[in-house]
Amino acid sequence: MDQLSVKNEIAKAGGKESHLSGSLQYIVIRLGEEQYGIDIRYVDNIVRMQNITRVPKVPPYLKGVINLRGEVIPVVSLRLKMGLPGDEYTKATRIIILKSEAAGVLGIIVDEVREVVTLSEDNIEKISHENKDGKTSFINGIGKNGGDLVSLLDLNAITLEVNG
Amino acid sequence: MDVSQYLEIFLDETKEHLQNLNTQILDLEADSENMDTINEIFRAAHSLKGMAGTMGYKRMQNLTHDMENVFSEVRNGNIKVQPEMIDVLFQCLDALEEYTNNIQQTADEGTNENEPLIKMLNDILHNEAGGGDADAVKAEKAAEKEQTAPAEKKWNNIALDDSQIHVITEAAKAGSKAYGITVTIQEDCILKAARAFLVFKALEEQGEIIVSDPSTQDVEDEKFDRDFTMIVLSELPLDELIRLAGSVSEIERVDGELLVLEDTKNYRPIEEPKAPVQEAAKPAVVEEPKATQQNAPAAKNNNEKKPAAGKPVVNRTVRVDIEKLDVLMNLVSELIIAKNSLVSASGQEQNTNSGFNEQIEYLESVTTNLHESVMKVRMVPIESVVNKFPRMIRDLSKTLNKKMELYMTGEETELDRTVVDEIGDPLMHLLRNSADHGLEDAELRAQRGKDPVGSIFLDAYQDGNNVVIEVRDDGNGIDTEAVKNKAIERGTITPEQAAGMSEKEIIDLLFLPSFSTAKQVTDVSGRGVGLDVVKSKIESLSGEVEVKSKLGEGSTWTIRLPLTLAIIQTLMVIVGGEKYAISLGSIQSIENVLPTDIKLVENKEVINLRSTVIPLIRMNELLDIESKGSDESLIVVIVKKGDKMAGLVVDDLIGQQEIVIKSLGAYIKQCKFISGATILGDGEVALILDANALL
Repeated sequence: MDQLSVKNEIAKAGGKESHLSGSLQYIVIRLGEEQYGIDIRYVDNIVRMQNITRVPKVPPYLKGVINLRGEVIPVVSLRLKMGLPGDEYTKATRIIILKSEAAGVLGIIVDEVREVVTLSEDNIEKISHENKDGKTSFINGIGKNGGDLVSLLDLNAITLEVNG
Repeated sequence: MDVSQYLEIFLDETKEHLQNLNTQILDLEADSENMDTINEIFRAAHSLKGMAGTMGYKRMQNLTHDMENVFSEVRNGNIKVQPEMIDVLFQCLDALEEYTNNIQQTADEGTNENEPLIKMLNDILHNEAGGGDADAVKAEKAAEKEQTAPAEKKWNNIALDDSQIHVITEAAKAGSKAYGITVTIQEDCILKAARAFLVFKALEEQGEIIVSDPSTQDVEDEKFDRDFTMIVLSELPLDELIRLAGSVSEIERVDGELLVLEDTKNYRPIEEPKAPVQEAAKPAVVEEPKATQQNAPAAKNNNEKKPAAGKPVVNRTVRVDIEKLDVLMNLVSELIIAKNSLVSASGQEQNTNSGFNEQIEYLESVTTNLHESVMKVRMVPIESVVNKFPRMIRDLSKTLNKKMELYMTGEETELDRTVVDEIGDPLMHLLRNSADHGLEDAELRAQRGKDPVGSIFLDAYQDGNNVVIEVRDDGNGIDTEAVKNKAIERGTITPEQAAGMSEKEIIDLLFLPSFSTAKQVTDVSGRGVGLDVVKSKIESLSGEVEVKSKLGEGSTWTIRLPLTLAIIQTLMVIVGGEKYAISLGSIQSIENVLPTDIKLVENKEVINLRSTVIPLIRMNELLDIESKGSDESLIVVIVKKGDKMAGLVVDDLIGQQEIVIKSLGAYIKQCKFISGATILGDGEVALILDANALL
């Protein structure tokens, strides 16, 4: 159900805003105290937390695999990946299923999915990749959403790192 | 005319015809008098020519045309089949294959005119035909005449059966007349079949079409060149019928004449006016001289009347995109998962009524059958791959100057389409290897008291859930000493290592990259790329390759491939609370072992099971998880690969289950002994342990 409501939200937002040129839509998620934005074009689905089957001999951030409608999909803990303390699963915990042509399908665990925002390009500040300290290398921009700041996740960095 | 949409079909069919030609010419080499073979070759060449022409591949068309001319003369008995001629024909086939490959890659046939080949063909034709055989010259002239006069009376070549003749004579009594009519459609017409249909319709309104050549069915399927001929019964005068037929657009010309029954084939087959020689040579077959380009229908006609000898009987088939089958296969997999979850749900309910269980059992049998059928759809006989080998061995025999024969069995063995597509190269390599390295020279064979003609065997058969393909030769076998010396020479192993190696280990060296024992590098094999490629290719298909060899007596290469890649029978086990699946195929037995029975050898745990020492693998340690099994007695699953065995210590057994293999995806590949995952009845994911990787 929750999955549906998010989808609807996305659909609504999409219908309203997507014709605007120069603007991008992001799903805002919470990880600890911080807010992150995920480019909606990579998001295939958002599902509730479910039982994850552990896979032996893989890095700790690779939590295992889940069954998503008959497909086996690997799941990554975004917290562990970014060097934060491990996940505490709550009712708000979600798995965001990302899909990209280059990297295939991958689920990431987040603490909460908040909303869908549309940011115009003017409100996005790009961050260069020179800054290599831990977390920030997973971020490729900062979006201004009203008074809030949203760190925009560089999904390529996340998926590529997993691969390696 | 845009023919690109037909390209795929064209390529498929061309390959089929080329394969057919290869096989038939081989047969011809063995039995140069066999008329069925010659006819079959002729037909295949003719179809090829027609197809190439339609697709606009002129060079290919020219070459096949000249080949066809040669076959035509052979068929008419004007040329005897000579070994040199067979060689030229094989070269032609290679050239055609090159065209086909070019077309496959670039949609263009390339620019190679193959003039020397065409010249050779013509030489064969002229030397033999001109060599004093007046009849043949006459036949050629007749052929030429036909080329210049396409409007010859084709209707006289239609073979009428008794009932048709009867109908015509009866109709004549009733006042109808029989006309022969040939309709030629414009060259640039795209919808030939539709135009032909309109012609049929127009004529049928005014009379009756007794027979058509090609048959109406073929015409409607566009299986004709540019013209078609029919015999029409009508009360109208001929001019009127010609006008009616000509009124359809895009019709180039309509020729017609009152049919004289006495001129048609069945009446006077021997005095067929255009081709006295051909008919005299082969009066039984109703067919017209085939030296012209215009007469496609006649060959077609013959095809219908007399199914070709060597050609597979034409089943009613549909070409299906393999992706669509994959989708179907996935859906069946889903169904099996759903079925499994029903089964597990029913197991939890204690007091379920028997009707429910019955239905579940019924569902189970239906899904199993459905799965089998879908698997069967994807299965193709390996015939399509191995068919090219006799030709290859023949050529090898010539290049290597060794006499050899290939014996094949089990060509009908079926494998998954994707596997069949991939297996050709490794097999070819093994065969070449046997021919080049395996078989000795004729003298050496004679010295050793062997038949001077070497034998290579290719046997395929199904063995349980596997398909086994064996390549065997009666040659020299693998000289392990030579392999050892070579390996030392190359620095692959040290002499000390070599001394301690078993025969099997030495043979395994052959599968290392860049290892070739041929003393001479030939163009057949011996470039040092190969056996390692063979091995990796077969392993990528989840198969295995093994060699058994006896020096002086020959070697056997055994390829073992799984029948299906998608669904397997497994034993579900529990390790540390987690569920894992082990393929039943690799399980030998299940044993209860007391901790006191475990011995230590080189600090590794082993058990002595029925006087075999088997190493134990503690699965919980391997999987980094705490064991929850009992300490009093261990459950050990004995797995086997070849002659290697190991005992896997697990916490508990769940039971046998049919599972659908799912890939873990590109992200998780570090884990060697996990070959995939599956979805259980309750929706949980369980991992599949690859016992082969553990050994």
